Amino acid sequence: MKNKEENKLSFEENLDSLEKIVKALENGDVPLDEAIEKFNEGMKYANACNTILEEATKTVTKAIDKDGNLKEFDISESE
Amino acid sequence: MNDKYLTVSQINKYIKYKLDTDDNLRIVYLKGEISNFKNHTSGHLYFTLKDEKSRILAVMFKSSASKLNFTPKDGSNVLVVGRISLYEANGNYQIYVEEMLEDGVGNLYVEFEKLKKKLGEKGYFDENIKKPIPRFPKRIGVITASTGAAIRDIITTINRRYNLAEIILFPCLVQGENAKDDIVKNIRLADTYNLDTIILGRGGGSIEDLWAFNEEIVADAIYNCNTPIISGVGHEIDFTISDFVADLRAPTPTAAAELAVPNKQELLVLIKQYKQRTMKSIINILNTNKKRLEYLLNSYIIKNPGTIYEVKMQKVDLLIEKLLMYSTNILDNKSYKFVSLIEKLEALSPVKTLKRGYSITKVENNIITDIKKIKRGMILKTELENGIITSEVMEVKNEK
Repeated sequence: MKNKEENKLSFEENLDSLEKIVKALENGDVPLDEAIEKFNEGMKYANACNTILEEATKTVTKAIDKDGNLKEFDISESE
Repeated sequence: MNDKYLTVSQINKYIKYKLDTDDNLRIVYLKGEISNFKNHTSGHLYFTLKDEKSRILAVMFKSSASKLNFTPKDGSNVLVVGRISLYEANGNYQIYVEEMLEDGVGNLYVEFEKLKKKLGEKGYFDENIKKPIPRFPKRIGVITASTGAAIRDIITTINRRYNLAEIILFPCLVQGENAKDDIVKNIRLADTYNLDTIILGRGGGSIEDLWAFNEEIVADAIYNCNTPIISGVGHEIDFTISDFVADLRAPTPTAAAELAVPNKQELLVLIKQYKQRTMKSIINILNTNKKRLEYLLNSYIIKNPGTIYEVKMQKVDLLIEKLLMYSTNILDNKSYKFVSLIEKLEALSPVKTLKRGYSITKVENNIITDIKKIKRGMILKTELENGIITSEVMEVKNEK
C-alpha cells in the first residue's frame, strides 16, 4: 500500500523529497546500496512531480456566492 | 502737458514691476474651478480660475503642465501654486501656475501621507512581519470584482503558469462608498477558508477610484489577516496603503498572480535538471565504487593471492621438516638403544658362553653356584652347547 501513499504526496512534498535526494547524492558520501535506493526513489519523486504537473488541466475557479456557497466560476459568463 | 501722460506700455510695465516685486504675490496658493480651459497646440494651458464671485486668468506653461498627474478640464476644482504677474501685451494680470492638483484629491494626498506615516510608525509596514508567500499554493483566494480585467487577468495568469492551484474568488466591491467595508468583510472571510495565499486586486484608476485601498480599516484587516496577502492594486505607478501593508506588493493584478504561483514550465525544467543531477550523481558514485574495486583488485595481495599463504606454507614446511627431523632423532635414538640392549642381552645369554667352551652344571635341575652344596656321589648334569653330560661326583674340593 506504500504506492498509494506516495501517490498522495503533493507536488511540493514530492519536489522537497527530490531536492533532498539530489543534495544527499551530490554530497557523494552515501554507501552504494543506499545510493542506488536513493536514486530509484529520486526518479520516482521526479516522475511523480512531472505527472502532477502534466495531469493538471485547467485551474478550477470557484466563487463564493452571497450565501457563502462555493460555485464554479467562469470568467466568460461573468462578462 | 503731454509729459504727464504715460504710455499704455509704460503703465503696464510699471504695474508688472509692482506685481513682480510684491513678496505676497511671488508664491500664491490658490483654489478655484477651471473654466474656459484651452490646451494650446504649443502645450501651454490657458484657463480661468473662478469661485462664486470672482475670476482670475491663469496660464500654465508646457514645462509645468507636463508634470500634471490628471487632465484638467472645465469644472475641475483645483489647487494651484504660482505667481501673479501681468501680461503686458493685453494688460491682463494672471496667475502663472507652476503646480496644479485636483482639489479634494489634494486632501486625499494629505490623508494618504498622514495615514502612511501613522501606520508606518505603528509598524504595519515592517519587513520582519511580512509573511512568506507559499511557493506551491494549492488554494488561492482572490478578493476583487467578479467582473472586469483584474479577475480575468488573474485567472488567465494562474491558469497559464500553474494550473495546479485552485482559485476561490471572493466577489468584492472595489470602488465607491461601500468598497472599504466590503473589502474588510472579504479579507476576514477569506482568512477562514484555509487558503495558502490571498490576492487583493483591482485594476488601475484614479486616486479616488482606488481610495478604498487607502482606508485605515482595510489596512487593519490586511495587517490582522493570518493568510499571506499579495496586493495588486492599480497600475504600475499607483501605490496604495494596502500595498504597503500587504505581505507582498505587485504592480498590477497580473503581476500579483505571477508572484502567487510558480511557473509550470520552469518547474518542468527544474525537475529535469534534478533528474539529470540525480543521474550524474549516481554515475559518479558508481564510478567511485568501481574505481575503489579496481584499486583493490589491482592490489598486490589480490593479484598474488599466493603470498597470503606462501609464508604460512613455508612455516608449515619448516615445521614438517623439524617434525621429521625430530622424530627421526627419536627413532634413531630408540633403535640404537634397542640394538645395544640386544647386544647386552646377547652378552648375557649363556648360549654364547657355552659356545666359548663354558658349560652349566646342574644338580637336580639347580645350577651349581656353590661348591658347598655338592656332595660325593651326587649325579650332575652338565649342559654344553650341543648336549648334556650326566656324571657322578667323585670328589669335592673346597678351595675358598
